[in-house]
Amino acid sequence: MDAHGFDEALDFAISMERAAVAFYAQLSAMASFAAQKSVLAEFLAMEEGHVTMLTGMKTRGAVKLSPKAAVDLGLARRLAAEEKPTAGMNFQDILSTAIKKEERSGSLYVDMAAASADTEARSIFERLAAEETRHKRYFEELYETEISRDN
Amino acid sequence: MDIKDFIAPFAVWKRAFEKPFTVKKPIDDRPGAPRYRGFHINDADKCVGCGTCEAICMNKAIDMVPAPGHDAGPGDSGLRPRIDYGRCCWCALCVDICPSGSLGMSNEYVWIDSDPEVFRYTPGVEPKPWDGAELGYRRAEGYRLLDEHRVDMPELHHAEAVKSFLELVRGYSRQQAEKEADRCVSCGVCIASCPAHMDIPGYIKAVRDGELDTGLRLLYETNPFPEACGRICTHLCEEACSIGTGGDPVAIRWLKRYIADQVELSDYAKALPRAEAPTGRKVAVVGAGPGGLSAAYYLTLLGYKVTVFEKDGEAGGMLRYGIPEYRLPYPALDKDIGYIESLGVGIKRGVSIGKEITLAKLRADYDAVYLSTGLPTAYGLEVPGDKHPRVLDGVAVLAAATRGEELRLGERVAVIGGGNVAMDAARTALRHGAKVDILYRRREQDMPADAEEISEAKAEGARLVEKAIPLEVKDAAGAYAGKSAIFVWNDAVMVQKEPGKRPVPEPIPGAVREERYDSIIAAIGQGPDLSFVAESDGVPMKRFKPIVDADGKASTGTVAGAPVFAGGDLVNDRKDAISAIADGHRAAVGIDRLLGGKGA
Repeated sequence: MDAHGFDEALDFAISMERAAVAFYAQLSAMASFAAQKSVLAEFLAMEEGHVTMLTGMKTRGAVKLSPKAAVDLGLARRLAAEEKPTAGMNFQDILSTAIKKEERSGSLYVDMAAASADTEARSIFERLAAEETRHKRYFEELYETEISRDN
Repeated sequence: MDIKDFIAPFAVWKRAFEKPFTVKKPIDDRPGAPRYRGFHINDADKCVGCGTCEAICMNKAIDMVPAPGHDAGPGDSGLRPRIDYGRCCWCALCVDICPSGSLGMSNEYVWIDSDPEVFRYTPGVEPKPWDGAELGYRRAEGYRLLDEHRVDMPELHHAEAVKSFLELVRGYSRQQAEKEADRCVSCGVCIASCPAHMDIPGYIKAVRDGELDTGLRLLYETNPFPEACGRICTHLCEEACSIGTGGDPVAIRWLKRYIADQVELSDYAKALPRAEAPTGRKVAVVGAGPGGLSAAYYLTLLGYKVTVFEKDGEAGGMLRYGIPEYRLPYPALDKDIGYIESLGVGIKRGVSIGKEITLAKLRADYDAVYLSTGLPTAYGLEVPGDKHPRVLDGVAVLAAATRGEELRLGERVAVIGGGNVAMDAARTALRHGAKVDILYRRREQDMPADAEEISEAKAEGARLVEKAIPLEVKDAAGAYAGKSAIFVWNDAVMVQKEPGKRPVPEPIPGAVREERYDSIIAAIGQGPDLSFVAESDGVPMKRFKPIVDADGKASTGTVAGAPVFAGGDLVNDRKDAISAIADGHRAAVGIDRLLGGKGA
């Protein structure tokens, strides 16, 4: 996959975030009880926020994202979660899925940056990759405090 | 009359022409002795505001007053002593008794001011020239008015303890309990730190006075599980105990247990309040753990007809199915539950909400519903191979032990985690003759388990492997295939990655180790089972917790049916029995208020 220039890079990123919104919407449709739906709604709203943010950046013609990656807690590498959500998924299942998903998105942006010949696009993808590390970090911290409290 | 009587008064006139004996600046030249008892000094940061100085002052020269910069919090009343030098007799009893040793006296004794009001001040808070004085009166080294050592609790030796499930702690005798109770200064700093705000000084005084019925009544005012909490409470009160600032804290937990142990269940009714007249209203409680039964107890006292729905075969929740009997023997728990049931609380055992009956049905049939279902779901290791048949769930192992099932853990057991469930699982495995390793991802000082649980697990023979990051579970090879599993972990170092945050375990490249175990018990954390709460029930959630208001009310009223309250581990972050008990009490008062009871 390759992208050239500002608009294409951001269009790609927006499509990724929209896919994430659709992913959580799909999970929510599968959910069978209130606690699941509330968490998925929260995560979905976050992804919608990302869509809005990126769309705004595209409109303004500038990407205002820090290039600094968040501290990696290393959870994503260790989690074995194969995301096969079921109607009975618990908080651990949902958070594992979210962490893995953010990790995959970050890796994709890193690959995109490496593959981009366009300097501007590469810079944007690098910043998007850094942004994904922050999202991953958010979920990893949640995992540490809510799931893995005793370890 | 003699002539001298007339002359003598004039004789003093000759002194008028002599050099006076006093010096021009008497104050500068006459410092107080090194241990003179002059004006008070107080290390306000060390002081916990216990007020023991105020209590011992015979002249009522000390008042405890709010001090700017010292807010009330765990183990600190936020008050500091203010001394009135119109009353102080400089006896220094306040210094001698001060548990924290913060109070002293400078050797400064002269203070001149025309305003009498200034001679009343708060040392250490209001600056004075003698602050930080090296000289003056201090409590002598080794001299204590208070006994800094607690009365030892008779316990089974570890080598003996690990051979059976007999209770480790034997309990105080009357003599021991009264001696220990004597150490309490009744400051009450502990009360705020107890989630249930128990009247700790009150029941300790009852022990001291031999008034055990009074003690029991005080216990039940805020906690209907004194037998259980007298054994397994996280005793935050002892962390706050002012005596603990200069010695061992008072053994508050053991004194609570002493009261409950000494009063026979058949005598409880004589000591405890009777239920009020029936209100005609019914409340359903979901979960017969300490939180649910606490709510049931207080609601029953308020005149409500309470039915508790419990999915397990016995009541008690995690107190029964999560805490081994060497820490909390079942007869002790049964005594607490037995009294609650004796008041008319109905417990429907083996009834699971969401299966046998729905929340919507409870909301239709009752006037209020209280959810206290705890955290029954063990979270998985989430590493490759964690579905291996020899990977067990710590909560399930403890529950199986309670039910008396054969555990078949094997000879070598790994417990993954550093919480109380991990410690209890490890010690249960030790009692089944296994050799046990506890593997924890961080350091011992980071472990969330109670410190005494950790030290006892180690003393009983468990080996603690710190900084072990789980990587994988593999099937064992050869003759062990399918019967044992290989646990693979990465040794780690703790790295301070971000200032202000706790260090993170970072894998050491290449430092991968593995061991074969017959059982690997995962105890990394637990979560709720909220599958019985549908969206249509109108109970708002955030991150798998019902959102509750100050009374514990969870439902918003947008859905028809009885109001829903929630509490305990399901809602609070403390995740201990006493917090669940406090939540249950709070919800009972909240339900009563909502349904038009006395609190309305």
